[in-house]
Amino acid sequence: MKLVAGTAACALLAALPAAAHHSFATEYDRTKPVSITGTVSKVEWRNPHIWFYVDVKDEDGRVATWGFSGAPPAFLQRQGIPKDVLTVGDIVRVDGFRARDGSTNASGGKVTFADGRSVFTASAEDVRPN
Amino acid sequence: MHRLPLAAAVLLAACSTARAPAADPQGIPRAADGKPDFTGTWAGPGFVHTGNPDTDKPQVRLYTDANMAPIKPDARQLLYRPYAKNVLIDDPTAVCLPNGLTRQIPSPYAQQWIQTPTQLVILYEYMHFFRVIPFGAPNRPHAPDLEPTYMGDSIAWWEDDTLVLDTVGLKAWMLDAYHPDDGGSRWHSDRMHVVERLRFTDAANAAYEVTIDDPAIFERPWVERWAMQRKDGWTILEFICEDNNRCVMGNCTPADVQQSASR
Repeated sequence: MKLVAGTAACALLAALPAAAHHSFATEYDRTKPVSITGTVSKVEWRNPHIWFYVDVKDEDGRVATWGFSGAPPAFLQRQGIPKDVLTVGDIVRVDGFRARDGSTNASGGKVTFADGRSVFTASAEDVRPN
Repeated sequence: MHRLPLAAAVLLAACSTARAPAADPQGIPRAADGKPDFTGTWAGPGFVHTGNPDTDKPQVRLYTDANMAPIKPDARQLLYRPYAKNVLIDDPTAVCLPNGLTRQIPSPYAQQWIQTPTQLVILYEYMHFFRVIPFGAPNRPHAPDLEPTYMGDSIAWWEDDTLVLDTVGLKAWMLDAYHPDDGGSRWHSDRMHVVERLRFTDAANAAYEVTIDDPAIFERPWVERWAMQRKDGWTILEFICEDNNRCVMGNCTPADVQQSASR
């Protein structure tokens, strides 16, 4: 019986659609801006939205990874923002808005590099940080 | 011996001449039949054109409250849906369901138009949607017994130099990407009738007027006046909503999103 119930649950789970295209309004909280400074650890320049990850060390040396979701690659390409704008090892400050689930995920709206340059990585659908 | 090749050459020359755009004093591109030719890749109403050089700033365009007709008594709840913590109500595109016609028209992505004497094809970059719209007599009836769909049934005709796209058969769906601070959404009914009117204002710009008639919600039709610009250097790019899936039903957990970081 347990096996049957488990199988049914798995089938149900498999049938539920997963989110791919992010929806700022449903996934992020515009009242919770966040500004994170750290080292880029991974960049996924993929449809439907780019993701990039920033490692931040706390005072005790523990590393937390923040995941930022940005605009679709095509959107950024048309804005003149190339794939290599972000590379692993870059020290960046990312301004965005936290996920509604309270995790270390956020909408990555603006990236500022160590030399002061900045680039908006947000979609048109997203709230843009100042 | 030489007659057939000569005849073919004459036919080819005639066809070439027929396909060449006719000269227009305002520089408006025209098809062989003399109609304005909307063929090309366009920055739709989802872009604002400011600065020099033009920044082509993408911007989610919303239907404006000020332009809307008065809402019928008791129809407010059909139009405005409060934040429900349910992605299928708050924003179904988060699970890659279609954005629907009224969101697609002003989507801040490129769209390619291909016009022939008999039909207009519109390819939308966003979500990879398309419309194949037959030309015919003005105000002719749509096909009977339409099953409501996300993009509806569109037919086209000309009123002098104005291109008219008339759409019914739309499934009740999101009107636009409207989200007040509480995350709510705005919807239309399956009785909505959309009329798009397009007219070149110069060689590369067109006025884009959208009339919304939704008798289940509004007292009368109302009009949104937008514009679009042809971008000869643009091509439509790949946008794949279903790629890189994560977050069941839009409920992202830390594990869902951080999974990629560890790969």
